[in-house]
Amino acid sequence: MSTQLSFRVNGTMHCLTVANELTLADLLRDQLSLTGCKVGCDQAVCGACTVLVDGRPVAACATFAFMAEAADIVTIEGLSSTGRLDPVQQAFLEAGAIQCGYCTAGMVLSVHALLRRCSDPDDATIRAWLEAHVCRCTGYAAILDAVRLAARYLHQEAA
Amino acid sequence: MDGIDSRPHGVAAFPAYLSDKATGRTVYAFDVALPGMLHGKLLRSPHAHAWIRGIDTSAALAMAGVAAVLTGRDTADLPDPFYGVGLRDQPVICTDRVRYVGDTVAAVVACDERTAFAAAEAIVVEYEPLPALMTPEAALAPEAPALFDHPAGGAMLAVGAGSTSAGEPEKNVLCEYTFGYGDVAAALAESAAVYTDSFGFTRINHFHLEPHVNVARWTGDRVEMWSCNQDPFVIRGDIARIFGLPLHNVCLHTPAVGGGFGGKSYCKMEPLVALMARRADAPVRLGLTFDESVLTSTKHAAILTLTTGVDAAGRLTARRAEIVLDGGAYADASCTTAIKTGFRIGGPYRWRAIGSRARVVRTTCVPGGSFRGFGGTQASWASERQIDMIARSRGIDPYDFRMRNFLAPGEPFAPGDSGMDSDLGAGLAEVAEQIGAALPCPPGRGRGFAVGLKDAGGTGNHAQAILKVTQGGEAILSAAVVDIGQGAAGALCRIAAETLGIAPDQVVYARIDTDHTPPDNGTHVSCGTVVTGLAVEQAARDVRRQIVEFVVTQLGCAPEAVVLDGWTARVGNHVHPLEPMIRAWYGGIGWEFIGRGAFKEPYDAAAPLRSKNMCWMPCWSAAEVTVDRETGKVTLHRLVVGADAGRAVDARACHGQIEGAAIQALSQAMFEELRYDGAVPENATPRLYRVMQTPDLPEDFRSVVAEHRMGRGPGQLKGIGEAGMLGIAAAVANAIQDATGACLTSLPFTPEKVLAALDAADSRAE
Repeated sequence: MSTQLSFRVNGTMHCLTVANELTLADLLRDQLSLTGCKVGCDQAVCGACTVLVDGRPVAACATFAFMAEAADIVTIEGLSSTGRLDPVQQAFLEAGAIQCGYCTAGMVLSVHALLRRCSDPDDATIRAWLEAHVCRCTGYAAILDAVRLAARYLHQEAA
Repeated sequence: MDGIDSRPHGVAAFPAYLSDKATGRTVYAFDVALPGMLHGKLLRSPHAHAWIRGIDTSAALAMAGVAAVLTGRDTADLPDPFYGVGLRDQPVICTDRVRYVGDTVAAVVACDERTAFAAAEAIVVEYEPLPALMTPEAALAPEAPALFDHPAGGAMLAVGAGSTSAGEPEKNVLCEYTFGYGDVAAALAESAAVYTDSFGFTRINHFHLEPHVNVARWTGDRVEMWSCNQDPFVIRGDIARIFGLPLHNVCLHTPAVGGGFGGKSYCKMEPLVALMARRADAPVRLGLTFDESVLTSTKHAAILTLTTGVDAAGRLTARRAEIVLDGGAYADASCTTAIKTGFRIGGPYRWRAIGSRARVVRTTCVPGGSFRGFGGTQASWASERQIDMIARSRGIDPYDFRMRNFLAPGEPFAPGDSGMDSDLGAGLAEVAEQIGAALPCPPGRGRGFAVGLKDAGGTGNHAQAILKVTQGGEAILSAAVVDIGQGAAGALCRIAAETLGIAPDQVVYARIDTDHTPPDNGTHVSCGTVVTGLAVEQAARDVRRQIVEFVVTQLGCAPEAVVLDGWTARVGNHVHPLEPMIRAWYGGIGWEFIGRGAFKEPYDAAAPLRSKNMCWMPCWSAAEVTVDRETGKVTLHRLVVGADAGRAVDARACHGQIEGAAIQALSQAMFEELRYDGAVPENATPRLYRVMQTPDLPEDFRSVVAEHRMGRGPGQLKGIGEAGMLGIAAAVANAIQDATGACLTSLPFTPEKVLAALDAADSRAE
């Protein structure tokens, strides 16, 4: 059983026929070579595979590909496609929030979604939002710093 | 930088290996795909302990898309199909018996993962169950069956003066290590008080986000592997031995590694993947699921019983330690863990006598293996908990008690070993200041301190490095330290740049493959910046020497007259840019100066571990808690953790290492544990296995990077990667006792356990 899909990824339209049981993570990684979407737990717990679907962060490992029909998807590759790091990526690097990097793509995309909803989140909001993610390397302190720094950069860009 | 301008917001440029992680370009072992690659899946044992009486693979083999099905029979023609560190008892795949839930019974190779998975499900195995031995106590019982019928291959690791080691000394005991000096019995007899306490340490999983992944490809008799492993040369040796190949017919490639913490140390399923690829006659990828990764390796659960004496002046006298580690089903790194736990049990203090015995007992649980700070974490938990309990019992402030008993800088940890290379008192004073110890604890809160300690750098360790520098001063550094996120690549590039006198971003860290990369013993024991760092420093000096020689031949000056400054040679008042001089002489594509460096720490039979320790790694920890008397819930308000980098090559990376390790340890202290329900893992899946996340963090969490300038690495640096693990659990338990009197002696500090300890404290008070 397969389904024909039309959807946009990082600004590019795709029309594909995909197996009904295919996950969004496998679609992005195996068919579109967007391997920045990392699969960790494969059970929607760790958040490493997070991508933005119509602006909402979703766990691509636990989302069927057919749910992408007519969606506008952004993966980590879509953030720096102009050859320039975006403010959240820059903040993660500057804050030392990246160690092994396996959780980074999902975190960065999730922080984008957070800062779009709430441009100046307090500490409790940041901690609650990032509960959808696991980072086993950093101890999170640098990631919390990165979110605050990213909020500042986005304010500067908007100003 | 691949066209990425990494400084639009104004601060520093970042090396590509970091910025690629931010942009999703980094290739992990998980991402490796080869043309014509097939996919593997494993069938795992549902039994903790059973004979395999028969395996019917016919239905699986008949499925479309299945290329091969392997069982233990397929290892019959391998010359030595077992692996492990020191003692080798783990089969490449089970032959006649399974020894834990999750043991590998069969392997399928198919066109894709779903076909391989379906085929694995179609394999029928006939088991004859045997008694499960889920604890060391059960495995040591007289009626317990022996888990192995034949002696393990390999040999127990050798040790030095004051230590003994033995492999398989009795039924179901994998190994035994003893360590000591002085007359323990006499020192305890002369003590003003002697305390005996037992401490429990739990089993946790590494929970690295990238599960174990391997890809293998054969070309004739030569095999290449792309592995998430952090020990490329160890694996090369294991594959060569297991398959009977010369070393140069095995090549390990090391792509980026998505977290390790020891879970990707030493041989895991690499030989099986190589065997699957050989049988299928095609490249094969085996990507474990996260659940399977959890069933691959754990930190060792342990029970540590310490008998410790103290004199009338509040000075520690002697300690006897009886340590039992749960090794699980196979050896993995258990032999080393026994040694490191027994050796480290005295902690950062001065003793008249020490006598420890550490034994690893085989059980039918997930194999215990390498895990960040192993041995040191177990020993520091028990030791620092008991030190606090003794101080409180003697009516001495636990902080003062520690200060009174610390080893002084330069004082040997044990006879024949190296001197303490940190100022232990200064480190503790700094975390005390950070937590606000100058002020009284707020009402209802308790404060606890702990000072963990381990050795670092390895035993008789060695490493080599090659540094290639072009005419333009662009440098490529090649060494086998795997950057698993700890920042080793960046630190080593900085060491090379410092020595060469060029900017750090002019040095790139080469990809690792065993055909081209100079060897080391693996990315372990916080050795990268020290052991490999010294080799890198030497390689950079070698390049400098070659450049000076070249300048001397070009300018006809004396070598002493040449000053290298940036990428110029200054002679007297004249500045000569190097690039045109090199281009003019060599022509063609230009030239590379190739520097070589090597370091080897000599063996020394007079040292307890057969080599003097390279660095001491203290972990100064301070915690402030409240405890809810009604529910037993512990709230951690403040946590300060400090470690000594000797000299911080990259302060931000040092903070990251300390904080990351501390939160892993805190997770284990508060709730994390891999539990069994009878013979079956109860929570070996990410939905049930909980690790620390952002809402769990203490309100105030900070790290301290001390720079005591006594290290042996380049510019007096020391390793720091494991330090943050060591003191946390004890500091939190000590704070709980300070707040409430509740005396916790096992991890984790769940509300149930805290309530029981509170009740026990109340009944003691009555």
